[in-house]
Amino acid sequence: MRSIPTMGELSPALSAVALALVAGPLACGQPLAAPLAAAHPADAAPVRGGTLRMASYTDVRNLDPAGPSDGLAQQVAHEIFAGLVEYDARGHVVPDLADHFDAEDGGRTYRFVLRQGVRMQDGEELTADDVKRSVERALHPSAPSTLASYFADIAGYEDFVSNKAAHLSGVVVEGRYVVTFHLGHPDAAFLSLLTMTTLRPVCRTAGDRYVDTWLPCGAGPFRILPGGWSRGNALRLVRHEGYFRPGLPYLDAIEWTFNQPLLSQRFRFEDGDLDVLQSPTQADTARFQADPRWKAFGIVQADTIVWGESMNTRIPPFDNVEVRRAVAAAIDRSQYSLIRPANMSPLTELLPRSVPGYDPSLEGQRYDYAAALEHMKRAGYPYDPTTGAGGWPQPIDYVVTDYSVSVMTSQLLQQMLAKIGLRLSLRLVSWPAYQAITQQPGRSAMSAQGWTMDYLDPSTFFEPLFTTGSIGSESTNNTAFYSNPRYDALVANARLTEHTAARYALYREANGIVCDEAPWAFTYGQHDFDVHQPYVRGLAVHPVERLLAREIWLDRGVGSRVHALFGGLW
Amino acid sequence: MLDPRARARFARNRSAVAGATIVGVLVTFALVGPLLARHDPFESDFAAGISRDLLPVGPGKAFPLGADRLFRDVLARLAYAGRLSLAIAVAATLLATAIGAVTGIVAGYYEGRRVRVPWAASAGAAAALAALAMGRPLVALLSILAGTLCALVRRSPAIALDLDGILMRFVDVLLAFPFLLLVMSIGAALQHTSAVTIFVTLGATGWLGIARVLRAKTLQVRSLEYVVASRALGQSTPSLLRKHILPNIAGPLVVSATVLVAQMIVADSVLSYLGAGIAPPTPTWGRMLFEGQDYVIAAPWLVAAPGTAILLAVWGFNMLGEGLRDALDPHDG
Repeated sequence: MRSIPTMGELSPALSAVALALVAGPLACGQPLAAPLAAAHPADAAPVRGGTLRMASYTDVRNLDPAGPSDGLAQQVAHEIFAGLVEYDARGHVVPDLADHFDAEDGGRTYRFVLRQGVRMQDGEELTADDVKRSVERALHPSAPSTLASYFADIAGYEDFVSNKAAHLSGVVVEGRYVVTFHLGHPDAAFLSLLTMTTLRPVCRTAGDRYVDTWLPCGAGPFRILPGGWSRGNALRLVRHEGYFRPGLPYLDAIEWTFNQPLLSQRFRFEDGDLDVLQSPTQADTARFQADPRWKAFGIVQADTIVWGESMNTRIPPFDNVEVRRAVAAAIDRSQYSLIRPANMSPLTELLPRSVPGYDPSLEGQRYDYAAALEHMKRAGYPYDPTTGAGGWPQPIDYVVTDYSVSVMTSQLLQQMLAKIGLRLSLRLVSWPAYQAITQQPGRSAMSAQGWTMDYLDPSTFFEPLFTTGSIGSESTNNTAFYSNPRYDALVANARLTEHTAARYALYREANGIVCDEAPWAFTYGQHDFDVHQPYVRGLAVHPVERLLAREIWLDRGVGSRVHALFGGLW
Repeated sequence: MLDPRARARFARNRSAVAGATIVGVLVTFALVGPLLARHDPFESDFAAGISRDLLPVGPGKAFPLGADRLFRDVLARLAYAGRLSLAIAVAATLLATAIGAVTGIVAGYYEGRRVRVPWAASAGAAAALAALAMGRPLVALLSILAGTLCALVRRSPAIALDLDGILMRFVDVLLAFPFLLLVMSIGAALQHTSAVTIFVTLGATGWLGIARVLRAKTLQVRSLEYVVASRALGQSTPSLLRKHILPNIAGPLVVSATVLVAQMIVADSVLSYLGAGIAPPTPTWGRMLFEGQDYVIAAPWLVAAPGTAILLAVWGFNMLGEGLRDALDPHDG
């Protein structure tokens, strides 16, 4: 019979499995491999050359600034595209492609004077026309960007996105190297918004409108050559020789391998086949952090990701605020963080710890089992934990992406909510299906949601996640479909307020509203951990960017060169 | 089922006895294990299940096979998963065996002859094929049942069909797809997966080999002199099938089915491993293997336990199947 192996055919396979099962426990006691030393002392001057090799458990789907994006795509896009401004190491907005900029008219006008002689990766010189064309390309309704609404304050935005105007009137070219942005009203976060990749200038080969087939091309330190991106497998960026910062970047190239299991990544890293290991497993993170040989080469990233349980406020039982409050009170956040203690911190409010405006004094959502039962009673679904009677009668559909830590947290949530009479039915789906289901109204009652800081300002969390305006007809990041006029007004006022303390006070009040009405039950903040080989120099903690490759250089010693040449044979 | 000589041959075959023992132990473990386990397979234990370095505890007194990443008892989950994995494998095998036996016997018996088939039955079969192509095995099964019932209840016009040719070409087409790829495609297409959808998926795709084997055996039995004589004396087709064909193909049928259980265990584990199986927190051996793979160094018991269970189950059923084959047909192989 086909496909049914005979014992003779099966024996080698079974023997291999048996061997692996025996070898596994033996390998348990193996210490981590020693770091591969650098060739020169720590204060040595940077040298050019070499390829930085990394891997990821996920894939990059789109690198176009005008397209949809996710965490890894953002990391890569920052290397290909340079912006008018960027964050420096202290989190201040500083000119990048712009030589300088001025804010005028009480914060309603921003005038950028470009550096002269900046070469794009297609060899053309960057001009103000390129900036305007790139902005219009990214914000045009034909582009699938999920972040376009961030820029709704630019004058003429509404007419442009509704196709009433051919051009965006708020972006004005005032000379070959001067471009001005006019806003409808002052926006305290506008410069921060420009640090994102969305509006970064793209080469003229991109055309005026978004197309799927375009090979990404910008003014950043690295570029993709044709054939350099094998979707689903690997990506290779090479140095942009015409990059405007003299001498940079140091690296010849950067390589990513995609869809690589975490365990394989760790072995490749120890073997010298990867130079940087990003987000290893909890067990490996603990081992690298505990090993004195590796301690100096680990980087704990800032806590800039919020996670929570999103409850669709339009679908029963979560249309009842008391049920949502019951969920928020039933979650023991300290247990969540035990799943990955090296990367998770219990979080009781919207803002993660490293985001400006985070207020530890805000009470937020707290675990209180008795209060959770009381909220269920008030909601009209009393639950008796001793008999297991009562609660919400139907199972609740809970959507979660497979291959993510949310599969673990969702099982914990299921246990916790069962104790207050809410029974979850978990549905594992792929990432695209998850987005389609959770971002459209009426399709999911509850889901695990996370949000990463896009720029260094509280508005990056408050606006997309919970404002009424962020609920689109087709898709939305407000997966709870939460709408509260008071909250909307606070968040809108905060954008208009220049004074930082006053702004943060408004956000604090808005934070209090979402903590109380609980469109999300906030669960934990995430801080990633990366580790690199000692010969990787110039890696530094940045308040926003996870890895800035233009400053990185390689200082391989003899050992690491041999590893690079012979890999596993060594 | 086994005559004394076959039973003696089986008892003398140490590999077969070992296979039967392994299968017996696994079935007992799956049936009794969840009742004896001290922990609920679905409940995390944040007091005893977590070590000082915040990892799941290893095998010990409180947790004989250690705790998993959510600090649940691996032993309790393994036993519970065994019940599910074995039940799915056996149920899928029964379904596959039933489909394969009917197809193989019909094809073998009518080989070289055209058969008049009622339109209703033909339409039911065509609808079933279309449903299968759309990844709806349940609809396919219902279509076949509806077509057969219509044909039986109400006499309808018939067409002459080369049943053997049609059935075997259909088998050939499906055989062109790698089994696990076919199963995974159907599994991925299903929005909600449950134990029922998985066993139907596996059963509806795993019958091809059995159909081939039983067709060949039916052809052989059909040509035996006493069967030819019975037909010549006017014995009806149902009577021939019941009295002569079925008893003669029972041996290969049992052997094929036993070995197929092992294949179903692997297929179920692969589906679960790839995330197309039953959703958590319900444990299956494949899912447990998947969830433990990133911790193979730090917490090897997470993969060792389900890995060993899959290994033993596949090994046991294969040895049992081969032992049965040797016992029932000493001249074959």
